[in-house]
Amino acid sequence: MTEIDVRQKVLATNAAAAESLRSGFRLTGTLVVNLISSPGSGKTTFLEATARALRDRLRLGALDGDIATERDADRLRRQGIPARQILTGGACHLDARQIEKALAEENGRLSTLDLLLIENVGNLICPTSYDLGEDFKVALLSVTEGDDKPFKYPAIFARAAVTVVTKADLLEHVEFDLGAVRDQVAALNPSGAFLVTSSRTGAGMDAWYALLENALAEKRGAPALASR
Amino acid sequence: MHETGLAADAYRIARDAADARGGGAIESVTLVVGELSAVEPELLGFAWEAVVSGTPDARARLVVEWRRATQRCAACGEIAERAPGSWLRLCPICGDALAVTGGDELDVRSVAFEGGDA
Ligand SMILES: [Zn+2]
Repeated sequence: MTEIDVRQKVLATNAAAAESLRSGFRLTGTLVVNLISSPGSGKTTFLEATARALRDRLRLGALDGDIATERDADRLRRQGIPARQILTGGACHLDARQIEKALAEENGRLSTLDLLLIENVGNLICPTSYDLGEDFKVALLSVTEGDDKPFKYPAIFARAAVTVVTKADLLEHVEFDLGAVRDQVAALNPSGAFLVTSSRTGAGMDAWYALLENALAEKRGAPALASR
Repeated sequence: MHETGLAADAYRIARDAADARGGGAIESVTLVVGELSAVEPELLGFAWEAVVSGTPDARARLVVEWRRATQRCAACGEIAERAPGSWLRLCPICGDALAVTGGDELDVRSVAFEGGDA
């Protein structure tokens, strides 16, 4: 019997593809965000609002991961931005190879943008493991989901640079301790941003748009408009 | 459930490593899995059984080395103790903010196999 040291990352293949995507996005100066949440968190509605608010100022596009339907990309195209659906055929997450393939099939239409929004498959666990070459991950959590989620799913909240609470207009109708959620996220991720939003009323959305524009300016070497 | 894909990748890495050393059937593969790797060890075990069944390595065992994440205080340098599944908001010694370190490992650590040229 022989025992050998291997010390190899299980996700090495994905990591290599993600690095190649990342250097491509560095060349084009495209800010890429990877949005991760449970199903029903209001992610597509949040992105529709983002598209409406920013489409006149930025070249914007979206990739939408879904297990089986084209619905999300359709909704974003109706907001006047290019969007492509990636059907995962049952898989619970997007991986870097799927992003490469989708970008190649779009012939540059989605890789030479100011901002590429990647809407991951609705799932708080599996997408967390896969680097897509993004600048940062965003975790979305709706107030209807319960206020124990960050400690229940620490991996995503520890890794997301931004946590966005959605559907804040429903706060008065649900049991959701916003302070407790803020504390949990702060414990897992002290340097992360924490935003409370409502896509319906628009509350808190300006902070999200400013965060994106600052991150884009920073990526392109311009001084940020305001410190984050 | 992404553990099936991860188990398949881990198996391929292990099999390639054994092949490179002229190894026969794999006896065990040791995987380091961190608390923040977004992997459920039990699901990984089921997925592993499915992946190796029908291969010459059908009897290969998966050994999981679990790594807890730790919380470190930048101010006093202490690594704070915490109960599994709970996270501390502030350093119990100096009250400063804590950073989470480690816990995101997902690595094939070693492979044991029959024969081999070593
Ligand atoms: Zn301290």
